[in-house]
Amino acid sequence: MSNTETSDSLITTDVETGANERSATTDATAVAARDLDVYYGDEQAIDGVSMEIPENRVTALIGPSGCGKSTFLRCINRMNDMIEICRVEGDVEFGGKNVYDADVDPVALRRKIGMVFQKPNPFPKSIRDNVAYGLKIQGFDGDVDERVEESLKGAALWDEVKDQLGSSGLELSGGQQQRLCIARAIAPDPEVILMDEPTSALDPVAASKIEDLIDDLAEEYTVIIVTHNMQQAARISDRTAVFLTGGRLVEYDDTTKIFEDPEEQRVEDYITGKFG
Amino acid sequence: MATDNATDGGFGEVSRVRGIVFEYLSLGASVAGLVALGVLLVYVAIDAFDLADASPEWLLTYFLTLVVPFLAFCLYSAGDRAVTRRALGVLGGGLVAVAALFTAVEAFVVEIPRLSWQLTYLFVVAAPVTAYLAYVGSRGRVGAVGFGLVGRLVGGAAIGLAVGTLFLVFDELVWFLAYTLGVFPAAVLYAYGRWRSAGRAMTAAAPVGLVGIVAAVFLRGVIATYPSDLLIYIWTLAVPIAVVGAVVVDGRGSRIAAAAAGGVPLAVATAGGFLAGGFGVPGPTALIVLIAVGVPTAVYVHRAIDEGDGLIGLGLPFLLVVGALVGALVVEAWGVPAPDPWLDVGFVTGSPSRTAADAGLYPAIVGSVIIIALVAVLSFVLGVGTSIFLEEYTAESGLIGSLTRLLQVNIANLAAIPSVVYGLLGLGLFANLLGLGFGTAVTASLTLSLLILPITIISAQEAIRSVPEDLRRGSDAMGATRWQTTKNVVLPEALPGILTGTILALGRAIGETAPLIMIGAATTVFSAPDSLFSKFSAMPMQIYAWAGFPQAEFRYGVVAAGVITLLVILVGMNGTAILLRNRAERGN
Ligand SMILES: Nc1ncnc2c1ncn2[C@@H]1O[C@H](COP(=O)(O)OP(=O)(O)OP(=O)(O)O)[C@@H](O)[C@H]1O
Ligand SMILES: [Mg+2]
Repeated sequence: MSNTETSDSLITTDVETGANERSATTDATAVAARDLDVYYGDEQAIDGVSMEIPENRVTALIGPSGCGKSTFLRCINRMNDMIEICRVEGDVEFGGKNVYDADVDPVALRRKIGMVFQKPNPFPKSIRDNVAYGLKIQGFDGDVDERVEESLKGAALWDEVKDQLGSSGLELSGGQQQRLCIARAIAPDPEVILMDEPTSALDPVAASKIEDLIDDLAEEYTVIIVTHNMQQAARISDRTAVFLTGGRLVEYDDTTKIFEDPEEQRVEDYITGKFG
Repeated sequence: MATDNATDGGFGEVSRVRGIVFEYLSLGASVAGLVALGVLLVYVAIDAFDLADASPEWLLTYFLTLVVPFLAFCLYSAGDRAVTRRALGVLGGGLVAVAALFTAVEAFVVEIPRLSWQLTYLFVVAAPVTAYLAYVGSRGRVGAVGFGLVGRLVGGAAIGLAVGTLFLVFDELVWFLAYTLGVFPAAVLYAYGRWRSAGRAMTAAAPVGLVGIVAAVFLRGVIATYPSDLLIYIWTLAVPIAVVGAVVVDGRGSRIAAAAAGGVPLAVATAGGFLAGGFGVPGPTALIVLIAVGVPTAVYVHRAIDEGDGLIGLGLPFLLVVGALVGALVVEAWGVPAPDPWLDVGFVTGSPSRTAADAGLYPAIVGSVIIIALVAVLSFVLGVGTSIFLEEYTAESGLIGSLTRLLQVNIANLAAIPSVVYGLLGLGLFANLLGLGFGTAVTASLTLSLLILPITIISAQEAIRSVPEDLRRGSDAMGATRWQTTKNVVLPEALPGILTGTILALGRAIGETAPLIMIGAATTVFSAPDSLFSKFSAMPMQIYAWAGFPQAEFRYGVVAAGVITLLVILVGMNGTAILLRNRAERGN
């Protein structure tokens, strides 16, 4: 991916101060928002958000319910286009290109950006067909079975399902279904993976499996994850963005900084559970 | 009422009187309705088979050889759903398949000769042998059969019908050319495209096919020499069917199984064609009959044996045939006079006549079957297409949204318009304006399709709407185009619901007489329609005509026989459709 200029960013991406041991070879920007406003009809859901999300890192979005985290996520792969009353102003840059430019095909964009939803939503097809779905619609001309295996391994699901690839994806448990959705998202080899509360419907064991998985995914992908679970954000993310009511980005910094020494009192209150 | 609690019990009691009253009232009403219908059917059956005149000995014989074994089987199978399912499947499916096939072949290809022993031999020996060999070869793993197969079945049936129609409209030489120049290259291109995942080859397939077919029409007059009929049929029918069989089995089992599934029917068909030709049976007819009946039978039996449950159910047709034969033998040996049923082979295969004894329903049966087949395909394709457009492709707000809503309201209203009005529309639009002819099968099919289209559309929309939004979003987020999402995610999920609506709507179309009268369909025709543009009659019209005859034999015997035939065919068709639908449901 091409590197974009990061001159006037509000927050510098300083890898050295990150608590994470992930080797720092680059601090290139994968996704950047500039003065982003989103409206649903007359109601504003995102208010002047600017931020730069680094490549091959896990970035967590936290904040109280209704503050616009999902909306922000959906701006990145233009899933907001599906909502008729939704209107977006400002830029979202992906690979140095504003995704809201007239010459961007949202379908082609989504093929570069995988998404995992809050509620596992495997298709009522076989496990194999679920994982191969993205390959199929993109006309992949390599070895599909090999890619399916790789993706299932990447989603830490292979050992559990390798003998039942032909059975329906709906026969799996909730946690397995979510990992199947992750396998489905990574199979076409996207550059960014968006996750909207991927573990909120799961028990702690299944959730911790997915957390480990996210950690591994960041080796190859840029992961942007929305979560309501503070420990989860602290454990898995390199950078954390705190949204507060009204769709404003209040603080965005290295995760350690946010959780140990936030600049803003409101952020500290939110993190420690005093408000939100 | 709801609160008259008893105070002595621990928690008191809650009155359920209304619910119980409702329950028994409903039960009573349903039972009364069923009994009334049953009594009517018994009367009609007695008339149709002339049982009132039968001697007690005759009744006793058949009671013992046919009715008792059948009831015993029913009792036995009642405890085992799998057996019932198999029995129904093999009996209903077999009956419908054979009946439809004979009708179609007789109507369009060549007269089927009296069943000579040679042909019978082919049926009785070749079909089971094919099935058995295919089974033995394919004991390998049989994958789960999901939507894929059903979808292909439905799609395949539609394509098959379309191709069949082409086949009927043109003579077989045009067909041969069209197949060789258009269909075959297109199929090869498509297969190549799939194999190599070369999208361009796949897209090229359609235009290549089209050009080839058009070329065929023009070349027909230019080319003078053609291979023999038998070769043409083997090349255009037996080979593709065998290839498809092989590919299907290859996907689920071993290589050997695939070879068996493809090669055995092909070999049997070829041999049968030559053999039958040698015996004076037209080779093509024998081939078609053999393949079309043999392959589904083989596949069904194979799958039944493979799944291994309810195998006894496969024996029901055997039981019935043997029962009837034994009954006939006993009656013959005993010298008991047999009654002369109105509903006999002559009735089903004969033409209408001035005398009641010779009256036949055959042309009307053929007419009805053709119409219904066409209506099913037309309304399914148009209905599903429209509902997809309305549900998936139109915006919900703005000008387009308002237009869509207007359209919706109008479609809903169209469903309530009396069928006579549709008849008038058909008369004006199809018969007059488009010049498709008065009382022809096409005009009737188009009119009836129009009649049930609103119902098909609305039910398909309902089914599409019930597909969870989650799944659509999941597919969209993968970078699927709207069409890909619709085709891969929405349609497979909605298919069972869509089929249910179509089945109900078809039920209505079969029974309609009013629009047929309006478009000028004949009440009585003396030969089966031999093209889509010939005059035809439908079963309800013919029965209605008989009911108005002055002779009592017509009004009682012949009408009764007609009603029974109509019902059997209706139930057969609906049953098949419902089986298919359940299949799609389980597939999910
Ligand atoms: N499809 C929609 N139509 C109208 N308004 C919407 C829609 N989706 C979200 N909103 C509004 O936008 C605001 C932000 O919603 P969003 O779903 O982005 O919040 P969130 O931070 O993801 O909340 P949660 O943590 O509960 O998921 C809310 O006020 C919500 O009412
Ligand atoms: Mg949300």
